[in-house]
Amino acid sequence: MKIERRLRRGWPWAALALFLVVPFAIPEGFYLDLLMFTFMYAAMSVGWDIMGGYAGYVSLGHVGFFGLGSYAAALLLVHLGMPVFVTAPLVGVMASLLGAGLGFISLRTRGPAFVIVTLTFTYVAQLLTLDLKSVTGGSQGLFLPLLDLPANLIIIPFYYAMLALLVIAILVSIAIRRSKFGLGLIAIREDEGKAEASGVNTSFYKILAFAISVWFAGTAGALHAQYLNYVDPDLAFELIITLNLIIMSLFGGRGIVWGPVLGAFVIYPLSAYLVFLLPSRLAGQLHLVALGVVLVLVVMFMPDGVIRTYQAWRRKGPNDYRPVEPQASMAEAAG
Amino acid sequence: MSAAMNQRGGPARPISEPDANLVIRSVSKSFGGITALSECSLEVKAGSITALIGPNGSGKTTLFNCVTGFYRQEGGTVQFGDTLLAGLRPSGVVHLGIARTFQITRIFKKMTVLENMIVPIRQLGLRTLFTAGIKGYERERAEGLLEFFGIAFLRNELAGSLSFGQQKLLELAAALMAEPKLLMLDEPAGGLNPVMIDRLGAYIRDLNAGGMTFLIIEHNMGFVMQLCEPVIVLHRGRVIASGTPAEVRANPAVLDAYLGD
Repeated sequence: MKIERRLRRGWPWAALALFLVVPFAIPEGFYLDLLMFTFMYAAMSVGWDIMGGYAGYVSLGHVGFFGLGSYAAALLLVHLGMPVFVTAPLVGVMASLLGAGLGFISLRTRGPAFVIVTLTFTYVAQLLTLDLKSVTGGSQGLFLPLLDLPANLIIIPFYYAMLALLVIAILVSIAIRRSKFGLGLIAIREDEGKAEASGVNTSFYKILAFAISVWFAGTAGALHAQYLNYVDPDLAFELIITLNLIIMSLFGGRGIVWGPVLGAFVIYPLSAYLVFLLPSRLAGQLHLVALGVVLVLVVMFMPDGVIRTYQAWRRKGPNDYRPVEPQASMAEAAG
Repeated sequence: MSAAMNQRGGPARPISEPDANLVIRSVSKSFGGITALSECSLEVKAGSITALIGPNGSGKTTLFNCVTGFYRQEGGTVQFGDTLLAGLRPSGVVHLGIARTFQITRIFKKMTVLENMIVPIRQLGLRTLFTAGIKGYERERAEGLLEFFGIAFLRNELAGSLSFGQQKLLELAAALMAEPKLLMLDEPAGGLNPVMIDRLGAYIRDLNAGGMTFLIIEHNMGFVMQLCEPVIVLHRGRVIASGTPAEVRANPAVLDAYLGD
């Protein structure tokens, strides 16, 4: 039992140590690129889950913040010469402030209405970047200056930045889950009216959760733009990015810290491998079909995600019998 | 069990002085063409166990919803102590010291019993918000209340797995976590067996002796007549009688309302 507990506590640190040395052991671009994007999706998915998993509000607007983060960082670099590694967290803060504003309006709605409002936000943001040609370059996009590093080393700072973003996302998610704020968010997901009647200021909680949630999307967008040295409206506001976040979260388990992380570490590499292995004229479509199949299978057979399904399976095992302490009490009278 | 019974931060300790009356004046509320409350006025004296009775559809729960911020009243005022409640969110009403339970028991079924207890804490300020959920004073208080209601042994169980009676107790215990001055109970005895009803009555008496005010909607007349004074009778959105249980029982308007006119 002691060993199991140590393993359970130690594996994230072991994984972190491993990821820290990977660039020294495997300097090959493909694998570093694969890991870097996995970190990025995992961080954004953990961020999405703060709103979608804990509070139960499914947002399709995260890619909007990702895209705006890309453009904001690009503009700050192109016009003011501010390096993305400095501006990325600030761009995240900008996304959070915008998210709080959008949340103030959109979080008055719930369910499908909230989904539609956040989706509309994404399209409005995309249209703005298309139409404000003098600032954003319109459909031609913006080209960002390359980092002053040898070509084979350019990925390294992005790799560590995305890893740091993922670590922050996990720590924030753990802190929220353990806090009164986290309990309040889960209460909102379970029964919003009851949560409000319990003294939880549901509007404030939701706006704060949304602002925290989109910080990761904005920051990741900023780093992503500099990594590609380019940003355009199609690339920055691709809806598949948000759908990926949702599928990853659903796959691992919504409302669990490690759920979206597991989802990202399974779904993104699978997706990337499909694109890599399939003929290029099919790859784009087939990997989307594969994502769809994964989504259907998860919803049908593991609606609570892999982690909860596994936990439930373990609980049913003969080794985990937990007797309820017998006690003569009021509760017994309650039947 | 006595009013000062709990050494671990149970219900008696944190309740504020019973200084706030709930005064409802000329409150109206309608839904489409149906008038649920029509210039309804009543007063709940601090420190009392007041019953609100009346036939189905008389406006009792609507009145609860108006007081607790779930409905916006169309006229009149609701005042608690020196504060007018108009325009307050339900959470704001809780922070003023008014907690409630619901006619159909509402708990967070996928959360544990202990988590259900921690949610209703008065959470003011970002610093408090990001402190650990189940720790320190709140934990002790939650444990104390669970002990008080005899469901402490279920602390780590999912609330949805509790029996109906246990869920009722949990809802009541969780409402007390907000440290209310006034607790509004909507049919607390509904669906409970007689042993349980007796014990529930004893708990309410204990809490009242500790200074808590109660406003109780209830159809179980035995429970009301033994426990509550005054009794206020609502019919078609208006107060038609109020007084001691004996006075209300003898009031012809009340008999008319219940037996039909």
